[in-house]
Amino acid sequence: MTTSLSAQNIVKRYGGVVALSDGNLDVYSGEVLALIGANGSGKSTLTKVINGVVVLDGGQLLLDGKPINFDSPHAAKKMGIATVFQELSLVPKMTVAENIWLAREPLRSGLFIDSKEIKVRTKNLLKLFEGTYRISMSMDDPISSLPPDELQIVEILKAVSIDPNILILDEATASLDNRQVHRLFELVRQWKAEGKAIIFVSHRMEEIMNIADRYTVLRNGKTVDSGDMKDVDEKALVSRMVGKETVYSLSREDRPKEEEPKPARLTVESLQTGVIKGVDLTVHEGELLGLGGLKGQGQRDLLLALFGDIPYEGKIVINDKEVDFSHPNQAIKESIALVPGDRSREGLLSIRSILENLMLPSWTNYGFPLNMRRSIEDGDRVASSLNLVMRSLSDPVNSLSGGNAQKVIIGKWLLKKPKILLLDDPTKGVDVGTKAEFYRLLQQLRSEGTSILFHSSDDEELLGLCDRILVMFEGKIRATLVGASITKANLVAASMGASEGNIA
Amino acid sequence: MKKISISPPVAAVLLAVVLFIFSGFLPNSFGTNTQAAVSQAVNIVRLSVFLGIIAAGQTLIIISGGEGIDLSAGAIVTLSAILTWMIVQGKDERVLPALVAVLLVGAVIGLINGAGIIFLKISPLVMTLGMAGVITGVVIITNHSNTPGRLAPIMTRVIARPLFLGIPGAIIIYVFFAALMWLILERTTFGKNLFAIGVNRVTAKLSGVNVTHMVLGTYALAGALAAFGGFMVVGNTGVVFLSLGQPFLFPSIAAVAVGGTLLSGGKGSYFGSMAGALVLILISSVLTTMQMIDAVRQMVLGATLLIILSIYGRQRGFRQ
Repeated sequence: MTTSLSAQNIVKRYGGVVALSDGNLDVYSGEVLALIGANGSGKSTLTKVINGVVVLDGGQLLLDGKPINFDSPHAAKKMGIATVFQELSLVPKMTVAENIWLAREPLRSGLFIDSKEIKVRTKNLLKLFEGTYRISMSMDDPISSLPPDELQIVEILKAVSIDPNILILDEATASLDNRQVHRLFELVRQWKAEGKAIIFVSHRMEEIMNIADRYTVLRNGKTVDSGDMKDVDEKALVSRMVGKETVYSLSREDRPKEEEPKPARLTVESLQTGVIKGVDLTVHEGELLGLGGLKGQGQRDLLLALFGDIPYEGKIVINDKEVDFSHPNQAIKESIALVPGDRSREGLLSIRSILENLMLPSWTNYGFPLNMRRSIEDGDRVASSLNLVMRSLSDPVNSLSGGNAQKVIIGKWLLKKPKILLLDDPTKGVDVGTKAEFYRLLQQLRSEGTSILFHSSDDEELLGLCDRILVMFEGKIRATLVGASITKANLVAASMGASEGNIA
Repeated sequence: MKKISISPPVAAVLLAVVLFIFSGFLPNSFGTNTQAAVSQAVNIVRLSVFLGIIAAGQTLIIISGGEGIDLSAGAIVTLSAILTWMIVQGKDERVLPALVAVLLVGAVIGLINGAGIIFLKISPLVMTLGMAGVITGVVIITNHSNTPGRLAPIMTRVIARPLFLGIPGAIIIYVFFAALMWLILERTTFGKNLFAIGVNRVTAKLSGVNVTHMVLGTYALAGALAAFGGFMVVGNTGVVFLSLGQPFLFPSIAAVAVGGTLLSGGKGSYFGSMAGALVLILISSVLTTMQMIDAVRQMVLGATLLIILSIYGRQRGFRQ
């Protein structure tokens, strides 16, 4: 059978933020369409619209030429659109088989779950990947006991089990090894021949070149280009993702002109965690070092390891002294601060007062009994230096807007006067005005000699602010951009793991 | 619309006052006799001291979050009372060593609770329930015959009798105790960190708080506070028996809840728990005055608790 899906002029807003302003895409039976774009280009939003995770605000989806509307992934599945999710959608305590057939269990007499039938069907599905997972893996294993690659395989099988006409693979290869990716691609080619339409989202340029027949490029929430893969090479695709090189002049001019080498403050050698596969880096005094790349390439783990929150192997040297952290309080003693990536879950005490949030790492400096007057003075001082908009320090911190709440997290570390500041995507979900204030603050801290390691999912920020940018790709540093090589094209190319030769 | 928001501890105190005035109109009560009213009020407050002190450790544990609750408090009270009784043997000079000993025993029990919860990842409910069983068993085995012991005269004088200007000693101790609790919760790094781990342990850790040490410390302190409760109770009753502490257990949790401390942790006050203890003792006393049978008293207490908590829940809903 033949099928086609067309997304036309899709618009999606989250609150006031327009994630997608003009998303277009066409995919037909028997082809693999690569959906590509840089960070924040809207490709995950477009995927979510197509698979029913979010409801579109404008535009139209057409399935086989007929308009369709759905409001849940379940409804999308009924129309034959299945998704392999990047963030896995499996239930940890249930078995492999139970997860694959969850809510769609084959029934006997229309009432009882037919466990024999489940076994047979699951076995057939597992055969697709036979030989690429552990021999000991069984369909009766609980999901929580599986390693990441097998979880991903189960996730793929779950999507395939409904025999979809349209299959979306959203970063489905991220945790698979070479052999498994190879098998998946064989299957993709087979499904293609059977007449399925496949949308392929991946951060690996190599895979896109390998498997895709056509491409659609998103940039700043708009579809900017589509075409045949045979007409383009890596370099051409990257340039389409980047568009016209926009010189982001937010602060370029303010950068210190003369660059005499400053002493190293933080040196990391062959750092490894579960996600990081050997990272070396040096942050100098008064340096703003950017940490770029697509989401989930190990930036978060790197920052958490440096802060002593997760175990690591490797060597960390601060001011010529080797350190070995097993708890963040040791890192704090060495004058390190971390602004974590998940504001409400990792940075705030929601129902407690602004004052207590600001003072949390600092209470020990206020004696016994705690000198409340001095803490309020200090809190007021740091709040006004950050232009924190609030009624009173005693208000709960969850009464603040996102940007102001982020100021509280930054403020709590400013009180400690850190020498090394680790930032995990601090401007995510922050309004434009606050961002500008934040950039000025970073400049100021840098000129005062603070060493800053700054991860951002906003490429423009990194390009505009940083002295150097390290681009992470699959747990390693793929490229180091310095001086004239700090361009969006280089950043995007390295983010996609494009071969070194394509970096200018 | 103007929001009328009243903090739970104040609400609990107001409820106590209303209940007290109402109780005056019951037959056989103080009626319009001011002197009798005052002495009745003092008596109620005095009775609430023991529940209030036992609720102190419970307050800390519930504030610490992580589904924190101490079901071993009642057993610790019994153990501490019996230990005090056995150590003192009627001698005044043994009172202080006995107090130190029971505080230590309580702290060690609490520490074991904390260790089970934080290292073995046993839920606080199960861990402290199991601990209560162990303690009760130990007490029964070591006291199969009648426990030899006697209270020292100084304990009875300081705890059970009027001490100063006709005010019972227990109430005077309570005032100092409350001040100490306030100091711990509101004016120490420990207290601030306790609220922090109660709200969000990830944030707390990423701000340098050692959550493991905090949980161990909190359960140890709570064990010592429950033991102090046992010491006070035996000083008041003058006798010991195996079920001495158990009747305090559920009221100690209820007092914390009525006092407005969030059962999910991170928010609350000891003042609230004191007010909660007062309300519970008052209701119980009113029902006794009305000559209700025990079953009815239990029902009314339970229903009151549900009503009060549902009102707090609604208030929170409005504020969000």
